[in-house]
Amino acid sequence: MSTDTLHIDTASRIFGDHCDKALLDAAEAGEFPQALCQVLADNGFLQLAMHDSGFALADAFAVIRIAGRHALPVPLAEIMLANRWLNQTDALATVGLAAGEKITAAPWATQAKLVVGVSELGADAIVVRVGDVEQGANLAGESRDQVAATASEPLACGSDEPYELLALARTVQTAGALERVLELSLDYAGEREQFGRPISKFQAIQHNLAVLAAEVAAAVRAGDAAAAALGTPRQRVEIAAAKARVGEAAGVVAEIAHQVHGAMGFTHEHRLHHFTRRAWAWRDEFGNDVFWRRELGAHIASVGADAVWDFIATRG
Amino acid sequence: MLQFDQVELPAAAEALRAQVREFLREQAAQLPRPNSDFGSGHDPEFSARVGAKGWIGMTWPKEYGGGERSFFERYVVTEELLAAGAPVGAHWIADRQSGALILRYGTEAQKQQYVPPITRGESFFSIGMSEPNSGSDLASVRTTAQRTADGWLVNGTKLWSTDAHRNHHMIALVRTEPLGDNRHAGLSQLVIDLRNDGAEIRPIKNISGHEDFNEVVFADVLIPEDRVVGEPGNGWQQVTSELAYERSGPERFLSAYRVFVELVRLVGDTPAPHEADAIGRIASHLMTLRRMSISVAGMLEEGKSPEVEAALVKELGNNFEKLVPEIARMAAPLAAESTDFRRAFTDTLLGSPAFTIRGGTREILRGVIARGLGLR
Ligand SMILES: Cc1cc2nc3c(=O)[nH]c(=O)nc-3n(C[C@H](O)[C@H](O)[C@H](O)COP(=O)(O)OP(=O)(O)OC[C@H]3O[C@@H](n4cnc5c(N)ncnc54)[C@H](O)[C@@H]3O)c2cc1C
Repeated sequence: MSTDTLHIDTASRIFGDHCDKALLDAAEAGEFPQALCQVLADNGFLQLAMHDSGFALADAFAVIRIAGRHALPVPLAEIMLANRWLNQTDALATVGLAAGEKITAAPWATQAKLVVGVSELGADAIVVRVGDVEQGANLAGESRDQVAATASEPLACGSDEPYELLALARTVQTAGALERVLELSLDYAGEREQFGRPISKFQAIQHNLAVLAAEVAAAVRAGDAAAAALGTPRQRVEIAAAKARVGEAAGVVAEIAHQVHGAMGFTHEHRLHHFTRRAWAWRDEFGNDVFWRRELGAHIASVGADAVWDFIATRG
Repeated sequence: MLQFDQVELPAAAEALRAQVREFLREQAAQLPRPNSDFGSGHDPEFSARVGAKGWIGMTWPKEYGGGERSFFERYVVTEELLAAGAPVGAHWIADRQSGALILRYGTEAQKQQYVPPITRGESFFSIGMSEPNSGSDLASVRTTAQRTADGWLVNGTKLWSTDAHRNHHMIALVRTEPLGDNRHAGLSQLVIDLRNDGAEIRPIKNISGHEDFNEVVFADVLIPEDRVVGEPGNGWQQVTSELAYERSGPERFLSAYRVFVELVRLVGDTPAPHEADAIGRIASHLMTLRRMSISVAGMLEEGKSPEVEAALVKELGNNFEKLVPEIARMAAPLAAESTDFRRAFTDTLLGSPAFTIRGGTREILRGVIARGLGLR
């Protein structure tokens, strides 16, 4: 148990120490956080998902959730998983979406030597050596680049389903970001005074924050349950359920948090948007709510009404 | 911060699941149309069979007929019964809260008198909290019990008392001391014998047309001295502990479950994309809520009192129960009136306003959560 949580504590400390607003703003302006990336490498985080890391894959996802909580501007999930599949750590590699002749939405392809392309359609991943890069970003200002997929080679990922693992990464990242949004909202509601008292004393605010907290609790629980199902026959359906549930939570949580923060939360200067914009972006990456709901729903339909409870009530 | 740990049900609980399913298969022929709302089927014979299995009072001491089993095992039994749509209403309240309350606060004689018949599925309890002028503000109850030489003389009216016309007992929250500065003081809980004490019980028809809840009028009803649960004056503390049991179980998110099952049946094994979407959305909520509820069972098992976590699961669960028919109707707009889907949908929709009212309204629960967040 203690070694289980040690890497979580280390991650929380290191991510917390480094991810200040200046670093996030700089990364969103296009400056790769090289120093932080080096710290992560030195502390072994980039290797955490490798088969010989000594950690369970779920441990890596626990760290990815912490990364979400801090809006870590290094694409830790992509690097971890690329290293796992390439069985390498000496060159920076990330992951994007294989789309015909291109790999799209690859974070910081400008910094990478190799980019892995994954597809929602199946397990066959490809790897390409990075040539020309067309830079882009998601709505959170996170780097999402496009790379030509010429001279791509197939990449065997063993029994991993790459798209599912990336969907799980976004799920737990989002859960982490939402946890942070709750903290920020509780703090703000306690500090901000109107009508002579903290706004947290108004029942309307209390109720909105209760709803927010409940959605966050559901998001975290859903993500944990999916991570616990890694490598089991339930992996795909649990990830589908979690990604869909967290996607729904993200919208509710971001909406309430901004309402509670008033105009201040609408400013670029405030930290809130680093987390809400990521939650908005991540819910649509690697399969949005509807994509995964249809996957799950089609599976349940194939199970049939008479066996549906057995499906729901499998595993704690 | 509120924490719902990743908890896996232990092997003993999973083994029990198979037994419950076997039992339910045996009962199938005798069961009425399934409905997963815990309050919708009152069947004393069925409850007696559940009791004979040892599935009432599962976590209670063996001395009083209990099973001394874990909260996880109780969780599994309750979720299996509800999911199958079994008529659990007769014993539900006694099993969930009245028996636990008597065991925790009652006198030795009360434990021996009331608890073993509950575990056998022979003695059924109603909740006597609400009154015409006391709903969410429970401490404002006006029903009084005055101590006399012959016992307690009870006057007042209890309202919305579910199944008071069918059950044996009610635990009523009453004022035994005049209202003073501390409104939580001077309240007590009395065991009412609904069939013999002389309270007047009038069923009230609900919007489904069913008569499940009641008005219970006490006009100089004399109750024996020994019917106070525990100590006179301790009623507020007792009733709040009772509420924690009332809020934590799978009945707080499974009331609409039948709609989901019938939707799955209706669309068949090759659903259109929007049908798959609806099923997947319902399932994504249901799977998550179930895990959260199991986390709460884990807290109970550790001896914690997860009042806030239970309120949070109830808040999410009740909203989900209301969402299910709303999602389902979009996916199955053309389902014929005669289908099982339509019947489940209609029952559930008509029952749905109560989901966020009974057992503490949504607003009251949000207040509990807000307190847990340190906001009040
Ligand atoms: C189907 C059903 C079965 C029931 N069975 C039983 C039973 O067996 N025994 C029993 O004792 N009771 C029973 N009840 C009653 C139930 O406990 C009460 O309905 C509930 O506590 C709310 O009380 P009320 O209906 O008087 O509403 P009120 O308390 O009058 O509330 C009306 C509205 O005002 C809101 N409100 C009230 N106070 C506040 C506040 N401080 N802040 C914000 N909003 C507030 C409420 O949330 C609600 O929306 C049952 C109710 C139902 C629907």
